[in-house]
This record gives sequence, structure tokens and C-alpha cells, in this order.
Amino acid sequence: MIEIHDLQKEYIEEETPTRALRGVTLSINKGEFVSIMGPSGSGKSTLLQILSFLDRPTGGSYTFQGKRIDDMNDQELAHVRNTDMGFIFQSFNLLSRLTVYDNVEIPLLYSDILPAKRRTLVEEAVRSVGLADKLHTEAGKLSGGQKQRVAIARALVTEPNVIFADEPTGNLDSVSGLQIMEILESLHDRGRTIILVTHETQTAEFANRIIRMKDGSIESDTPITANRVRHGSLK
Amino acid sequence: MLVRDAFKTATRSLTHGKMRSILTMLGIVIGIASVIILMSIGQSAQNLILGQVQSVGSNLIIIAPGAPSGSGFSPPASSQGIVITSLKQADADSLSREPSIHAVASLVSGQAEVVQGNTNKTVSYQGVSADMFSVRNLTLSKGYPFTKGDVDSANHVAIIGPDLATKLFGSYVDPLNKTIRLKNISFRIVGVLSKGGTGMGGVDQGNIVIVPITVAQKQLLGVNHFSTILVEADAQYDINFVKSRITFSLRQNHGISDPTKDDFSIMTQADLLSIVGNITSILTLFLAAIASISLVVGGIGIMNIMLVSVTERTREIGLRKAVGATDTDILQQFLIESVLLTFAGGLIGIMFGALVVGAVYFGITIFNPELGWTFAFPLSAVILGLTVSGIAGIVFGIYPARQAGRKNPIDALRYE
Repeated sequence: MIEIHDLQKEYIEEETPTRALRGVTLSINKGEFVSIMGPSGSGKSTLLQILSFLDRPTGGSYTFQGKRIDDMNDQELAHVRNTDMGFIFQSFNLLSRLTVYDNVEIPLLYSDILPAKRRTLVEEAVRSVGLADKLHTEAGKLSGGQKQRVAIARALVTEPNVIFADEPTGNLDSVSGLQIMEILESLHDRGRTIILVTHETQTAEFANRIIRMKDGSIESDTPITANRVRHGSLK
Repeated sequence: MLVRDAFKTATRSLTHGKMRSILTMLGIVIGIASVIILMSIGQSAQNLILGQVQSVGSNLIIIAPGAPSGSGFSPPASSQGIVITSLKQADADSLSREPSIHAVASLVSGQAEVVQGNTNKTVSYQGVSADMFSVRNLTLSKGYPFTKGDVDSANHVAIIGPDLATKLFGSYVDPLNKTIRLKNISFRIVGVLSKGGTGMGGVDQGNIVIVPITVAQKQLLGVNHFSTILVEADAQYDINFVKSRITFSLRQNHGISDPTKDDFSIMTQADLLSIVGNITSILTLFLAAIASISLVVGGIGIMNIMLVSVTERTREIGLRKAVGATDTDILQQFLIESVLLTFAGGLIGIMFGALVVGAVYFGITIFNPELGWTFAFPLSAVILGLTVSGIAGIVFGIYPARQAGRKNPIDALRYE
């Protein structure tokens, strides 16, 4: 599903070039749950941004579902983000003045789905994260855990193939964090590909593969076969 | 993104900060209202002036001394204060003999101090021939117009305007047969003009003194020419034919063979209407142009607030782009917000303008009903108001909207 080869990313900050990614090569298959770990500045977030089409590499190749990123213009990238990718952010990125319904509907506004079908999709997505009773509550009035569940519903509403999660438990207490990870795990169980960036080992261990990064390169790429500890605290 | 959704999203953003939206709109409201008010009042003033010109009658021809202007737009030299003595009694006499002319009236004018008892007042006076009353449809509220006999005998009789009558004699004293002095010559008042209207040359008829032309020429001014001759064409004849007969007659009298050397100018009511219409239209446009400066200021206010809004909503822009919005979707959203703001401002401005124009109409109608002020709220002003406000939204919204559309989603999502 995802093939990257010798991926490079170089930024120029105050006329000094900074290499965030130094020749990363990896492939991720459909249905995998991958955690990307590493210390600050290791390049994990840059890798996630490129994998999720929010940024372009400065070198190497990236093929997503058979299409090369270099062959697509910005509009096509936006279309792929809308139809095939879902996003979960550390800081939720909800529009607090809008209701849960309106927040979850946002990705559908940029799709070809007709308004009549949108309602069903939104209600289904909100129900799947256990917030059916909060459908018309303002997002700003929800707790942190509830906000992240709304963000997951928003990521799910277009029924994407891949969900990218950037530190999804970073702003949550351990109980809420565990609930969020269980939702992601159940999504994975239902066949979704999940790519997660985290610096928390216990969170990373919900995945079936952990990629560790250091100084812009992959340090290790380890499959996890053992059962995870699921019912304890995440922090 | 569907246009319907774009409008819904924009409306939601604007209604979220109601007070800010209202204050942002205020500049456009004032700008559009100013343009609407000035255009409407300008139209009413134009109607009033044109109505007064029309009231002199469609078969009235005005002859002024001096060559007509080349452009056909500006008035002849005589009306700009230059004394030209080319029109004489002989011209009036020869015109009277033309079969296509029903009546000829001549006029001279000046300014002097009128004295009655201890009261004195500087007024405009006119010396007119007896036919002037019928040619100009001048009506009297009291007394009678002086006769040809009074003119021929140079009798010291006068007709005064209604406002002057009140100023000189008060509201309760009948001015008829009372005496006033003009340049130390006593005149007996034989009539008072009806209220309303503007006399020849824009003179306020309420404060005028009208005396026989013979007295004005010989005793008040010491001249033997006329400042204007008014001709009433016979209704059976085409006005342009009568105009050509007058031209022929005057050229013959003045010994002119080269038409470019005419020392007189002839204007029909149509010529006057065209000149007055042009002047008032230019004046209205000029005022509207001044008012539109406030519209520009309002537009800059919109741009400023939209830029602030784009900065405040950077993370929202980042999120929308992350989940699939294109640059065009974001640009469209902010542009619609800007156009909705200005369009709503335009609508409110038009309504506010209509209220002010209505208030001006009622005010003038109540305090000066004789003026004949009409209510004018031209559809063109409404269409212009809406179009201009819509365009202002696009012009002043495009820059902030482009700024929003160009934002990089990663930088936007990181924005604190």
C-alpha cells in the first residue's frame, strides 16, 4: 500500500540546510498497525507528514496505492487526503464553536458525497466512537477524551483506507488515552491501516510493528508478535 | 465543495461573531447609504429644477445677447455677467411682427436697495414689458399686473414678491397701493406675486421687485438695451421653424451675413432642459463620487478584519486543508464571507438611505410644501448600491482570501 525508497527531506532554515530525513526506505501493507517512535528531531513527524501527503519529499520516491506522489498536483493530493486518509492530531483540532455533528461533517464538505448521505455517515461515525448522545453538543464543551473521540469520528467519516495519528494520546489522561487506543485497535481489527506517531512505548505497543527513528533514519523496524499489556495505565 | 455548503460555512462563521460582523459592515453601510442618499436627493433636485424649466412652457424661446458658445453646453457670455448690448427695442418690434410668434416680452435686471419706512433690503429687480406676465405665466396673489399703458407711460408702479412683501410690511398689512423706494424713486405697489418658483436667471421670485421696463431702462439703469427677450411661439408652428425665423430676423436687424458672427443666442426649452439636465447629472455624479470615498474606507476596513480573521483561523485553515480542502475551497470560503459582509452592508445601507431620503422628503414637504420637492429613489441607485457592495466584497476580500488559500497545511496546523 505504501512504498517509500530513499526518502529525503531537507529544510532550509535561516539559510542553513537541515536534513530531516536521510534516505528512509520502508513499505507498509494494507491492514498493518505501525507505530513510529523516536526522540524529538528524529524525523518521525516529518515522515508522517510526507506519508499523509501534507508535505512533499525533496528526494527519493513515494508510492501510495500504486500512485507516485511526484506525479500528483496539490489538488490531487488534497483529493487523496480526503478520500483515502484520516487524520487524528494530538491537539484534536476541532472547531470548538461548532457542534460534534458539524465537526465530523467537515471532511465530507470537500468530497463528492451528496448532503442526504452525509447525515447517515456522520451519525454512524459518531455512534462508532460512543458519542451518539453528544451529536449536537458544541465541541468546546466536551472533555479531552470526548474531543479526541470526535476527532476519530471525523477521521473515519469518509471511510478511509489509512488513518494517520500524530501523538493521539499526548493531551489525554491515562484512562482516556487507553480508550482512544482501544478504539484505534478495534479499527485495525476491522481492517484499517493505522500509522501512529508516538514517543510513548506503551502506546506504540498497541501496533503490530514498531519503527524506531533516529537522526532522520530508521534505526530499527520490529514486528511485535507478543500480546500487549492492554488493561493497565498508558503512562 | 458545494456552493451551498460554502455559503452555509461562511454564514456560520459570520454569525458566530455577530458584533464584529456588524461593526465590520458599518463602513460599507455608511458608504452605500451616502451614495444612495446623494443620488436620490440629486435626482429629486434635478426633477425640481427640470420641472421649473418645463413650467415656463414648451413654446417659450429665450434670446440672450452675445454669441452662443461653441460647445453648445455652456451658457452665453451675457449670463456669465458680461454686459452685451446687442438686443434693442427694434429687435423686439420686428419679432412682434412675425406671424409665427404669439408674444414678445423683454427684460432688464439689476440690484438695488429697496426702502419702505425704516426698513431697507437689497433686492434683485426686473424691468419687464407688460407681455411678460402672460409669457411667463406669472400669477399674482394680490392686485393686478401692470399694463402696456403703464410701460409706455413709464409709470412708477411695482409688483413685489410675497416674501419681500412680508419683510417690508409684515404679515398683517396689505401692501397694495403702499409706496416703496428703489434708487430714490418712489413706486406704488400694484400687485404681489404668488408664492413659489424661481424667476428668469435663477432669481428668487419671493424677494423680487418687478417694474415697467421703460422705467428700469431709463431711470434705474440708464441703458437702452435688453438683457433678455422672451418669445412665445405660436402653437401652430414648429418650435425649430420659429427659432429659424427669429435668427433670420435678428441677423437682418444686426446686419450679420456670417452665421459664425451672431451676436445673440437662442435657446428653446429643450436646449435649457438639456443644459440643466447635464449640469445636475454631473453634480450628482460628483457628489456620489465623493460619497464613494467612504465606501473605499469601508472596504479597507473589511479587508483589515478579514486579514485578522484569516490569522485567527489559521489552525482551522490547516485542518480543512488536511482533510481535503484545496486552495480554491479555502479562497472561496473567505471570499464568500467577505462578499456576504459587504452585500449585507449594502442592503442595510440601501434601507438606511431610503429612510433618510424619505425623511428629507417629509421634512421638505412639511416645512416648504410650495417647493414641489418630489420623492426620488431611483432603481439605478439600488442596483448600483448592491453591485458596488458585491464588487467591494470581491475587491477587498480577494487579498485576505488568497492569503488564506495559500497557507501551508503543516505550518497552519502548528500555528499557536
